[in-house]
Amino acid sequence: MATGHHEFVLRTVEERGVRFVRLWFVDVLGLLKSFAIPVSELEGALTEGVGLDGSSLEGRTRLREHDVIAHPDPRTFQVLPWRPDSLVARMFCEVCMPDGDPFGADSRTILRRVLEQAAGLGYTMQVGCELEFFLFAALGEDGAAPRPLDDGAYFDLTPLDAGSDFRKRTIDYLEAMGIPVKASHHEVAPSQHEISLAHTDALSMADAVTTFRLAVKEAADELGAYATFMPKPLAEHPGSGMHLHVSLFEGERNAFHDPAPGVPLSPAGRAFVAGVLAHARELTAVTNQWVNSYRRLACGFEAPASVSWTLRGAAALVRVPQRRPGRAEAARFELRSPDPACNPYVVLALILAAGLRGIERGYELQAESVDDEPAPGDGHLPRDLREATDLFDASELARETLGDHLCDAFVRNKRREVDDERRTVTEFDRSRYLRLL
Amino acid sequence: MTSAWIYGTQGAEATAQLLAELGFSPHRVAANGTLRPAQGADRAPSLALILVGDDPDDPGEPACAELCARLAAEEELGEVPVIIAVEAGELVGAEVAEGHELLVAPFSLEELRARIGRARRAVHGVDHDDVVRVGGLELDLATYQVTVHGRPADFTYMEYELLKFLATHPRRVFTREALLARVWGYDYYGGARTVDVHVRRVRAKLGSELAGRIKTVRSVGYRWEDG
Repeated sequence: MATGHHEFVLRTVEERGVRFVRLWFVDVLGLLKSFAIPVSELEGALTEGVGLDGSSLEGRTRLREHDVIAHPDPRTFQVLPWRPDSLVARMFCEVCMPDGDPFGADSRTILRRVLEQAAGLGYTMQVGCELEFFLFAALGEDGAAPRPLDDGAYFDLTPLDAGSDFRKRTIDYLEAMGIPVKASHHEVAPSQHEISLAHTDALSMADAVTTFRLAVKEAADELGAYATFMPKPLAEHPGSGMHLHVSLFEGERNAFHDPAPGVPLSPAGRAFVAGVLAHARELTAVTNQWVNSYRRLACGFEAPASVSWTLRGAAALVRVPQRRPGRAEAARFELRSPDPACNPYVVLALILAAGLRGIERGYELQAESVDDEPAPGDGHLPRDLREATDLFDASELARETLGDHLCDAFVRNKRREVDDERRTVTEFDRSRYLRLL
Repeated sequence: MTSAWIYGTQGAEATAQLLAELGFSPHRVAANGTLRPAQGADRAPSLALILVGDDPDDPGEPACAELCARLAAEEELGEVPVIIAVEAGELVGAEVAEGHELLVAPFSLEELRARIGRARRAVHGVDHDDVVRVGGLELDLATYQVTVHGRPADFTYMEYELLKFLATHPRRVFTREALLARVWGYDYYGGARTVDVHVRRVRAKLGSELAGRIKTVRSVGYRWEDG
C-alpha cells in the first residue's frame, strides 16, 4: 500500500485526536466483527497486520482455532461520526494466513478476488442498493411482537412519521462516512423505512451495506429506538428486502446497454441475467440466509417466489427497468430476492460469478413473466432454509467462486440453524394446537 | 510524497540534496529526450526544476525553451510549477518563459525554498505550507485536515486528494480520465466511474452549501468554482 495512505491515516489520527481505531471484518454470515487497537499500535498494524483467531470468522460453528493476520486497508480509514466526544475511526481488514495467503473464510477478500478476476476480463460491476428495515420503540419482551413507532404509510410525510428525525440523522451519518444516499422514505408497513444508496463499485457497496447497518442501529439507539434488518419481523406486514441494482461495465461502456431503441438489455445483459436466473435457486441460501428470510419470501407483498424476470411487474425475481432515452450508463437489472440481513460480500461475488457464467456460456434468457404470473417453466425459489442450504451445498458455482472453506463453514452454520428451528416450539404450535389437541 | 523532477546535469546532485532537505523526493530525469524520470513517474511531480548549465557542448544540457513547451503541452504535466535555474554567467540570453520562476545558480537552501513557494503560488494559488480557503472550506495541506465552517470533516485519503486537487486547480475543467491520471496516478480498474463515485462522496461530506463548488460539466468532467 502506498505510503501516502499510511501517512494520511497516521497524521489524521494525530491531528483529530482519535483515541482508538476499530479494525473491522465480517464473518461468513456477514456479521460485523471488530476489535479496537490503541493509536500507539496503529503504525505496526498498518505495516505488519494484527494477529487474531480466524475461527471468529466462521460464525457460530467454529471447528478449531486458526492463527490469522488482519491487515487493515488504509483506503477505508474513516472517522466514525457518532459519539463525537470520543473519536473512534475504523478500517476494514483483509484477513490472511501468516504466510500471506488469503484466509478462506474472509468474505471481503473473496469478493475482491472475484472482482479482480472480472477486471482481468475487462469487466467491472456497479451496484446500487435499496435497503428496508424496521424501527421499533423497544424490543419486544422475549418473543412478543415488537411495538412499531408509528402507523405511517407508504411515502407519508406527516407528524405521524416519527422516523423522519431518525432518517435525517442516519443520512447525516452515512454522508459523513462517504455513503451517498439517493432517497429515503417511509415504507409500506408501520415503522418500516427504506434508504437507497447511490451506485458504486461492488466492494465499496458491500462495505457500505455493512457500515449502513451499524449507522442505522447507532442512530436508532441515540433516539431510544431499535432498528432491525430482520427480514420479516411482523407477520401481517411486508418484510424488508434489499433490492440490488446491478450493471456491468466493459471498459467505460455499460455492457447491458443496447443502442437499439426500446431494447432494455443488450445480448450480454440478457445472458448475464440468464446466468443469475439459472443459478438463482443455488444462491438463495446466501441472498436469504436466515430461517426468517423465508417467511418474507413465502407471503407475497411483492417478495419474489419464483425464478422469473419482468419488465413491468412488481413480484418477479429480476426486474429490468425501462430505459430512459440517452441514459446508456443507467442500463441495469434489479435483483429483488436479497434481504438486508445477507452477507453482501458473498452475495455480490456470486451474482457476478453467475452472470459472467451466463455470458461465457451464452445462456438464453427465458420468457418474461407478465402480470406477476410466473412464465411457463419458471422454477420455484427454495421454500425454506433447509432446501436452500442443500442446493447451495451442492452448487459447483458457489464452491468454485467462494472456495470450500467458506462454503463448508456457511453450510455448517445453516444446518445448525435449521436443526435449532426444528427443535423449537413456536407461538404457531401453541396457538394452533394447545386447545385443539 | 511530494516529488520534484530535476532536468539537466550541472549541479544536479547538490540540487537533489537541497530538495530532499526541503521534504521533496527528488528524481533526476535522464537527458535522452524523455520528460519523466525512470522512477517516481507514476504521478505528476509537485515541482519541475530545470538546471541550465554554462557548457553549451554538455549533452546533458536541456534545451530549456523546448522543454518548457513540451511540459506545458502535456495534460498531466501542464500545471506543474517550473523553476529554471541559470548559471550567473548565462543570464544574458537565458530563455525563461513568463510565469516560470527564475533562480540564479549557485543558490542557497533558503532561496530555493522561497522560489519554490513563489512558483507554486503562481500555479496553484497556494504554496506548500499554505491553507486553501474557499467559502467556509479550509484545507490544511500540511496536515490533511479539512474543516467546513470550522467543523472538522473526515475524508478518506482519496477523497481528500481529489478535493485538494480540484480546490488547488480552480476554474479549469478536468476530464474524468485526467483526474484519474493526476489524482489516483495509477491504472485503477474502476475506470472513470471511480471519479464520479468519489465526487459524489466528497459532495456528500462537504454538505449542500459547498457541494455546488464542484460543478459537473456535462459530458466533459468536473470544475472547481472558487468565486
